[in-house]
Amino acid sequence: MGRTDEALVEACLAGEWSAFDELLVRWERKIRGAIYRLVGSEEEARDLCQETFLKAYRGLGSFKKEARFSSWLYQIALNLCRDRVRRRKGRTLVSLDELEEGGESLPEARPSALELLQKREVCRTVAEAVAALPEEQREVIVLKEYQELTFLEIAQVLDVPLSTVKTRLYRGLGQLRVKLEHQGIRGTAPLPAPTP
Amino acid sequence: MECSVLRDERLDVLYGEADAATQERVEEHLAACSACREEMAAQRSLRGRLAAWEVPEALRKANRPRPAPRFLAAAAVLLLAAGAAFGLSGSEVRYEKGELAIRLGSGDKDLRRLLAEQDARHREEIQALQASITVAPRAEPALLPQVEEMIQKSEFRQGELLRTSLAEWNAKKEAQRRYDMARVSAGLSYLDGKNGQHVARTTELMGYMLEAAKKR
Repeated sequence: MGRTDEALVEACLAGEWSAFDELLVRWERKIRGAIYRLVGSEEEARDLCQETFLKAYRGLGSFKKEARFSSWLYQIALNLCRDRVRRRKGRTLVSLDELEEGGESLPEARPSALELLQKREVCRTVAEAVAALPEEQREVIVLKEYQELTFLEIAQVLDVPLSTVKTRLYRGLGQLRVKLEHQGIRGTAPLPAPTP
Repeated sequence: MECSVLRDERLDVLYGEADAATQERVEEHLAACSACREEMAAQRSLRGRLAAWEVPEALRKANRPRPAPRFLAAAAVLLLAAGAAFGLSGSEVRYEKGELAIRLGSGDKDLRRLLAEQDARHREEIQALQASITVAPRAEPALLPQVEEMIQKSEFRQGELLRTSLAEWNAKKEAQRRYDMARVSAGLSYLDGKNGQHVARTTELMGYMLEAAKKR
């Protein structure tokens, strides 16, 4: 059983700075994924993720022990994302990074080409719909749908009441539903009901 | 019970965070309220669609390699220490005329003399460096803000440059995507056209066959 995040932070503060490497390995991919979905660009996601860990490393001394390290890390990342989006004057960005480079010739098998095209279009449309949401709703949707944080964790990260998190999520889901249906994206099999 | 009262609890159920009592309460309500049942189904379907947005493969990979196991590091340290001890003892390994010769120890005097000379040289260099540091003129206090300002301006310029090139790159990618889509669309139209011709030809042949059958 490995050490908890908070134990690793304590080890760092006690002088064992290699413990930060373990925190980095543990959280880097998750944080980078969240940043990518909030800023919409692969390059910016790398850049901001690096900045997040650099800030965390420098500010470990100010980390409150009663808080969760992951929540603190998400807070730093979200603040950096907000700054970056504001610097772009609210302009949302939807990167095409996730779409593979198209070749000059058509793929040989027609059905797979169509399927690929449809998949890319759905991916792109979902990304655009999420990017078009108001910042508060976008953050909650990303943290809940893609980072799979609990409602309580999201409330801690955003420093808002639980009911506010749920209201933002409910409104965000409603807006996404309207946007995607307007774009003609429908017919996907619903997710099975989660077991409590 | 009013639907809006159960809204938050329905979200708990939707995301699998509800306890047994909440789950039961929501299920009872859903069984009686078609509007909430439909909304819940729509939300589940929406979640399925949202899952289509994946993080690019390149971002999913870890940036840094995992640290090598500790025993490898320990082995490397032992090897280095053994090599250093071997060298310092004046031992040597030679390969001449197809024969491997290992000489242990000896040459102590020469080695000690060389080490002493090197040590003295290093001390002199360190003293010279220390002297140069103490006599180096200190930066003017007024100069520091200017340097800081220059650094800030340079950083700002670089940021602007990066933003511009990112925007250009995105525009280029968008153009490429549109071009690729147009090519795919043209390809599909061509295939549709060919298919249409084929159907027309088959229909024509069927007509001839029917006519021939009637004449018989």
